[in-house]
Amino acid sequence: MVPAGINIPTDPEWVDEVLLAGPADQVCLVLDGPVDRATLRRLVAERQAVLTGAGLRAGGSVALCLPPSPAFITNLLAAWRTGARAVLLDHRLTAFEVDQALDRLAPQFLVSVASSSGGALRAFQDVREAVTVRPDGQPSDTPHALIQLSSGSTGPSKSIGRTASDLIAELDRYLKIDGVPRGGERIVSLASMVHVLGLVGGLLYGLHAGVQLVLPERMTAEAILAAVAAGPEPTTLLGVPFHIELLAAVADPPRLPQLTGMTTGGELVRAQVHDAFVDRYGIRLGNMYGMTELGVIATDLFGVNRPAVTPAPGMTIREQDGEIHIAMENSPYVGLVDPARWSDGWLHTKDAGSVDATTGLVRVKGRRDSQVSIGGLKVDLSEVEHTLAGLPGVTGAVVVFGKAIEAYVMLEEPADLDRVQGQLTERVAAYKRPRAWHVVDRLPRTATGKLVRDQSVLATERKEQTRP
Amino acid sequence: MLATYGERQPQEVPETVDSLELAWLIHQIEQRYGKTFDADDDVLARMTTVTGVTEVLAELGYGAGAAA
Repeated sequence: MVPAGINIPTDPEWVDEVLLAGPADQVCLVLDGPVDRATLRRLVAERQAVLTGAGLRAGGSVALCLPPSPAFITNLLAAWRTGARAVLLDHRLTAFEVDQALDRLAPQFLVSVASSSGGALRAFQDVREAVTVRPDGQPSDTPHALIQLSSGSTGPSKSIGRTASDLIAELDRYLKIDGVPRGGERIVSLASMVHVLGLVGGLLYGLHAGVQLVLPERMTAEAILAAVAAGPEPTTLLGVPFHIELLAAVADPPRLPQLTGMTTGGELVRAQVHDAFVDRYGIRLGNMYGMTELGVIATDLFGVNRPAVTPAPGMTIREQDGEIHIAMENSPYVGLVDPARWSDGWLHTKDAGSVDATTGLVRVKGRRDSQVSIGGLKVDLSEVEHTLAGLPGVTGAVVVFGKAIEAYVMLEEPADLDRVQGQLTERVAAYKRPRAWHVVDRLPRTATGKLVRDQSVLATERKEQTRP
Repeated sequence: MLATYGERQPQEVPETVDSLELAWLIHQIEQRYGKTFDADDDVLARMTTVTGVTEVLAELGYGAGAAA
């Protein structure tokens, strides 16, 4: 018997009103093939019957550990339609990381992959899902509809909660931003729907605004352009900077009159890549600044203020000691309180930046902590370093990011590197793992004994140590 | 070819190949050889290291050393 939870403040009918409403024959999703709203409503109702049959109730909690797939979409909407809280766990996390998250968040149910088709470079998979009842799970103890984890399992305040009202407010912001696709248009999304940009900016916004969400068959340049070419409607590409690089490298792209623009989240691409892309496709290349905590925050969808961005309607942004702060009524963090991340109605983004007093334009100048972006996925280097340093046989570790994540390690036995790498593989998802390894006799430290993370110092030290 | 992504030197390319690099590599192969790289999921699944990529390309009749 699953205990009943607290009441979720927002009526679960929001799913029908805000996301699923619309003409029955309107194609809202194109994954393997077109899915119209009547079909989506039926699929969501079927999943809801399965989840409630397993015991999920309003105020309950369910974790989804699914890759981008029809199953992800239907289970998420079914959980919300039940009035339950959905926890999203990246499907690339290791079993160790998933167990840690389940221990911490204690969902009552886990929906995970029983079997799936599709492998490398698939934009989505065909998944048969399994529902596991977790007898020790707890109903939702917060009003949130959505819980996402930011990278970093070592520190406090890393579970990010958003209520249905928060999500609806973000959808409303998207509607008010000039340059965002409108009803009847298409989004070809290259951004993963299990993270905020692809989830809210792609999937939920598409459903809300009547914009068809299309996923390419594969994440190759050819398949992406084929997905654009497949429909006559005005089409916007949504992705991360890597996708700009990939498409800018296409020597002779086909003529795509329906392609009106591309929008990416995350860091800016180099100016020459930006120019090559605009030159090749003759379309606007826009940039968005957002966070899992809030979704879209500021945009430059026409590329006219690059590298600055304009605050989205309703966003109040200030600069505090060189850090960007954003007005936010309640802390988005579930569990421990961390005044370094949210205090007195302001979200501390940990992004260095400035706000122009006259124009209000925002410049984002990189992170003030150890978070880096790997193909649009956020990785906290300190999490990787902490895990690595805690492995048996490791006496010291520094993890840095240059062109890839690199590890400098001190080992009890230098021959143990394979074993250490194997243990890290069990604990840390592939995209977070170091791509280059350097075994060193000692790690450079500052005068006060702190580990040095400056890469030129580390590289010099390494060369000196390997000198005969 | 992998080195052309992110402006790296060939010696800076790590042994493992991530999914973004694989997408980049396939695009470079298609441009260089002027034909679609047609491989099923099982073949792509082997292309997660530079060694694996080199083996697959050799089996499919692409030029030696293309991956680096």
